[in-house]
Amino acid sequence: MKKILLEYVNMFAYTVIGLVFGLSFFLLFINFYHMQELSYVADISSYNDINSNNIKEKVETIKKNISVYDQASYNGNLNIYGLNTVKLNLESCIEIIESEDMSKYLGLDSIGIKDSYSFVTDFKNKILNDCLVIQIKSMFNTDTVSVLPNFNIIKPYVELNIDNLLKSVNYVQNNLENSDHYYFTTDNNRNNFFEIVSDSYTNTMNNYQSTLDLIVEISNWYRSIVVGG
Amino acid sequence: MKKIFNALFYVFKFFLLIAAFGLTLYILIRMNIRLEQNIASILPRFIPYFILLVLFMINIIFKQTSVTKNVFYNLTCCLVFVTIVFVSYRAIFDTNMVMNFKYGYGIDFNFFDNFMAYINIMLYGLAIADVLFMFRKSENKSEVKSKN
Repeated sequence: MKKILLEYVNMFAYTVIGLVFGLSFFLLFINFYHMQELSYVADISSYNDINSNNIKEKVETIKKNISVYDQASYNGNLNIYGLNTVKLNLESCIEIIESEDMSKYLGLDSIGIKDSYSFVTDFKNKILNDCLVIQIKSMFNTDTVSVLPNFNIIKPYVELNIDNLLKSVNYVQNNLENSDHYYFTTDNNRNNFFEIVSDSYTNTMNNYQSTLDLIVEISNWYRSIVVGG
Repeated sequence: MKKIFNALFYVFKFFLLIAAFGLTLYILIRMNIRLEQNIASILPRFIPYFILLVLFMINIIFKQTSVTKNVFYNLTCCLVFVTIVFVSYRAIFDTNMVMNFKYGYGIDFNFFDNFMAYINIMLYGLAIADVLFMFRKSENKSEVKSKN
């Protein structure tokens, strides 16, 4: 009886040690795999060239549109305080877009996971917060701007777009922050569904382009009221 | 050949235990300093290490060959400690960890803390197996006695 019991104890000991061996083997190799996966570098040189040109064109359009107004030579009957406010806020946005913090990403030929994450956070902090919320959204809440023509048409359009853009990259940021935890990615799902480095960057860039489109729309409205007024 | 491997794993197991313990201690102390908590609060986290160390000492003192000459057990010990060392290394030195980059503490506490549960499972597993293998020793002894 004692011998059978000891035999069971021995068997149980080997079972426990076998399970521990399996777990540690799994954890060790998933860590190697995960480390290799996080060090993945994506080539974005051609993608960045196209986007860089698009951004330059949009910024030039905005600059051209706001240059139609000059307080010293303006003879129209629109509220000059409102026109000045819009022009100054749009100029502030252009400064942010052309700043080194944002333009450094357009010169990158390849990106790692940290670059993708920095791009998302900089886009959120500088473009969404400093430009869209602090400059554009607050601009549409000032009394001087509210008396400008077609304000009632442009305001809901801008606010709706800003609300959508503010939420647009949250999931990208969360996904990148979650990448420290183990997950399984195969080449198949990397190619077909979501590649965390380049797809996060692409998503953020698309939202960046949408933000610029919105600012171009605002500058078009501004140009039309200055020229029309 | 088996004896050579066993001797290697047996020696490595102690070095790796010290390395794993040292790295865990370093990370947890840094974590406590950041949280401004009492150092004593991390002591319960080292209970499995202490249990394992005591068991290893018992194995040496009482010359329990059923544990010390068990190649699979020694190999598993090495593998567990290598895993702990590797995870600690990644928590400190892996520059691609986003949370480490985000918070800039120099150590990815979040990543390491998630791993603590696995550390406990593996270390307690080794301790339980060590104790169970001790019975095998007594069985062998009793067999030798009965033959005599």
